Amino acid sequence: MNPTIYRLEFKLFFRNKAALSGILILLISGFAGLYFGKKFIHQQDQVIEKASRMQQEQTGTNIKHFGKDPGLLLYHNKFSMVNVPDRWAAFANGQRDINPYLLSVTMLAVEGQIYDTDLSNPSTLLLGNMDLAFVFIFLFPLVIIAFTYSLLSSDQESGIWALVKSQSGSLMQVLWRKLSIRIISIFAVAVVLMISAIFYLHLPVDLRFLLIFLLLSLYLLFWFSLSFWVISLGRSSNYNAVLLISFWVVLNVIAPAMLNVWLTQRYPVPEALETLVKQREGYHEKWDIDKSKTMDKFYQHYPQFKQYPFPAELSFSWYWYYAMQQMGDDEALAGAISMSEKLVKRHQFTNLTALFLPGIQTQLRLNEMAGSDLENHLNFQKAVKTYHEKIRLYFYPLIFQNKTIENVQWDKFKVATYQGYATGNVWQHILSVGILILLFMLPAIYNFRKRISLF
Amino acid sequence: MKTIFIIARRTWKTAFSNPATLALTLILGLALCLATFIGWQNFKTQNAQRLKYKELVREKWLAKPDKHPHRMAHYGYLAFRDKHELSFFDFGIESFAGVSIFLEAHKQNTVNFSEAGFSNGMLRFGEMSVAMVLQLLVPLLIFFLGYSSISSEREAGTLKIILCQGVSWRQLLFGKTLGIISLSFSLFIPIILLTVLLWAMLSDWQVSADSSLRLVFLVLSYTIYFIICAGIAVLVSAFHRSSKAALTSLLVLWVFFAIVMPRITQALGVILYPAPSKMEFAAAIGSDLHEQGDSHDPDDPHYAQLKAAVLKKYKVDDVKKLPFNYGGYVMAEGEKISAGIYNQHQQKLNQNFEQQNSFSVAASYLNPFLAIKNLSMALTAADFKTYIDFQAQAEAYRYGLAQRMNKLQIEKISNIAPGEKEKPLSISRSNWAEQPDFQYRFKPVSSVISNHIWSIVSLFCWFCAVLIVLGFSSRWVKTL
Repeated sequence: MNPTIYRLEFKLFFRNKAALSGILILLISGFAGLYFGKKFIHQQDQVIEKASRMQQEQTGTNIKHFGKDPGLLLYHNKFSMVNVPDRWAAFANGQRDINPYLLSVTMLAVEGQIYDTDLSNPSTLLLGNMDLAFVFIFLFPLVIIAFTYSLLSSDQESGIWALVKSQSGSLMQVLWRKLSIRIISIFAVAVVLMISAIFYLHLPVDLRFLLIFLLLSLYLLFWFSLSFWVISLGRSSNYNAVLLISFWVVLNVIAPAMLNVWLTQRYPVPEALETLVKQREGYHEKWDIDKSKTMDKFYQHYPQFKQYPFPAELSFSWYWYYAMQQMGDDEALAGAISMSEKLVKRHQFTNLTALFLPGIQTQLRLNEMAGSDLENHLNFQKAVKTYHEKIRLYFYPLIFQNKTIENVQWDKFKVATYQGYATGNVWQHILSVGILILLFMLPAIYNFRKRISLF
Repeated sequence: MKTIFIIARRTWKTAFSNPATLALTLILGLALCLATFIGWQNFKTQNAQRLKYKELVREKWLAKPDKHPHRMAHYGYLAFRDKHELSFFDFGIESFAGVSIFLEAHKQNTVNFSEAGFSNGMLRFGEMSVAMVLQLLVPLLIFFLGYSSISSEREAGTLKIILCQGVSWRQLLFGKTLGIISLSFSLFIPIILLTVLLWAMLSDWQVSADSSLRLVFLVLSYTIYFIICAGIAVLVSAFHRSSKAALTSLLVLWVFFAIVMPRITQALGVILYPAPSKMEFAAAIGSDLHEQGDSHDPDDPHYAQLKAAVLKKYKVDDVKKLPFNYGGYVMAEGEKISAGIYNQHQQKLNQNFEQQNSFSVAASYLNPFLAIKNLSMALTAADFKTYIDFQAQAEAYRYGLAQRMNKLQIEKISNIAPGEKEKPLSISRSNWAEQPDFQYRFKPVSSVISNHIWSIVSLFCWFCAVLIVLGFSSRWVKTL
């Protein structure tokens, strides 16, 4: 290796206006991505901060209004749980704008409450967030293409290649040198952005950081290997550019878009509406049937409450009311389970197709590790259900015995938090993107070995 | 004029003699047909699903036994967002907006269960619809076809020959543009025919005048959009020394306009006009309610006044002696106040969202992609305005239902509450049918046009600008 030649190659590369502007575009959009991503999560943090104060205030008002009637108080009082954003969520906003991060539930049927969405502007959801993950997945490949598509062809077209051929020993080495300079430049930008992300987003530098950097590096290398393969075909610059952009469009736009429509068509989720209808009927129809039927079912679910006498002679009691509400949940359960099964199927299908689409693969894994994917939200919903059950088990005896709320430990029911992320599927990414890299790199090397002297 | 057509025909012929162009056009055509078909299928499945549950909801509503009307008000109604027949053409915000809303007394719920909520992130890469292909991919094809239109003639040295033969710059530019437009139309026209056919099938061959108008405007807008794209491609090619440079410029433009800029403009809008979170929204309504009258607060002054006034009017000393159901009367008042406050806040929120969206409307003057995107969504009734209109109609229905039940209570339920152990009061189930089914009505196309006038103007400005530059660029463009 001759360092002077490298230095000259670098000089040559940066002489080109396109090189500097490409790097500048990446840096500017990268910093913009950091800013927008952080801003988005910051807004959620702020709301979460206010949540506990607001819940306290509202509980206070409710106690003032309905304190004498615990059944009525719990009919109105809301308990919140928040899905606290991980620091990485500012890096990959994922689905955090679509799925609510704060769920407030009363003690009524939970199935009627956990699917409530946040107030959101559908146009914003449609256009998507501008986070750093977007810059890595969509823009980096384009700049890689811009840097490499004419690696060989521009020299051929300007006649320099003939000179190089006659004067240089190993042509392969010349090409590697050119390619490695581009790889180094792109990775330098990536490193700068990642280091800025560490400081700006307060990311912990741990195993997860290394894994995410590894995934991103593999993704970038995939585009280099694809580009290298296209170069190895030995066609003109324009041909290369058209072919590479077509690859980008197919991998990052057309194929995912096709798969999305196919996915919705193949796995529709009528279970959602089914659950909604079942929950509503399950509860409301109980008003018109014999109380004992509802109570029998209720005691089947909670045998421990049989000990509290049921005031059957009263035309209305909160005891009966909450048993009816419970039936709404119990009867919607089957629908809710089949809905989550359907979502698992969808997830599996996406994961399978992602094996062939590195862009989607990277996005999915980033969202997973940033705790901003659908899995995370479903787990959050489960956590809310568990919390809701805890509230029920605490307050049911109190209401069923007509006790006062004097001894309620409200401290136990402050705003609850959920936080989570997963790193389980990293191997899938490493393997699939790794294989794809080889799939393009090996034929490229073969092409060059065989035909480089002919170019 | 004749020269222009000769050049156009020549452009068309050379383009299709290139196997790569042919292959690309064919692939795109295939993708388009597939997109149309899947979109159509999707529409049918989703629509059938919603219709099924809509009918079920109605059936269950009518089947409810004799009840206290307030129980019915709490039983409420489920409304499902209708899809417009044309929305298989452009999905717009369809997948990102909720599908169902539970309408009950005292409470305004959110529209839930959007397709995006069931997606694990792939949806963010976009959805294949006819509109997506026409907005995003056809321009890319146009750029691929057009980047070398002038610059390759210059590189090959044929440009000066053409100009020496008496062809003017203007004729050359218009001819090339026309050739490329006709190329894109070889894709566009069959797709329009297919769309018309599928659309007619979806509406059971009973097409409405309004939908037909929408389709006509849609075709017109896309035609203008393709002309703009073709013009840009030829102009960029004319102003670049080499084809390679022209291609790079066009690709950068495409990526920036179609991929980067829409996200940035929206993100800016969101940051400059931050919307309240649901919790803050609810708290603001709560505090307004507290000021104007909270029926839940036993010491509320507004309801104390109301009570005094009613007692005075009927000259009785206790609400129990009133000739109508006082509980229903209070609830009707409560519903009126809370719905009024809610509507005010919802309107403010919608304005807030529209301010956020106004960025992308303003940006359409810099970016024709945004203009066509906004316009196309609006014409296929898959846009933000249609969504908030659905919300408003659902809320109006909810209010009507709650008040009808309150009225039934006031008129038909005895004012003397039964004892704790007595049978609760109820009215006949025959009253339920009085409440009509929820039916969403799409806004007419005229309101779409007045709502999106700025997008239309921007598309028109782009069209004029491209024509003017094509006509006068001979002054600045260099032959050699």
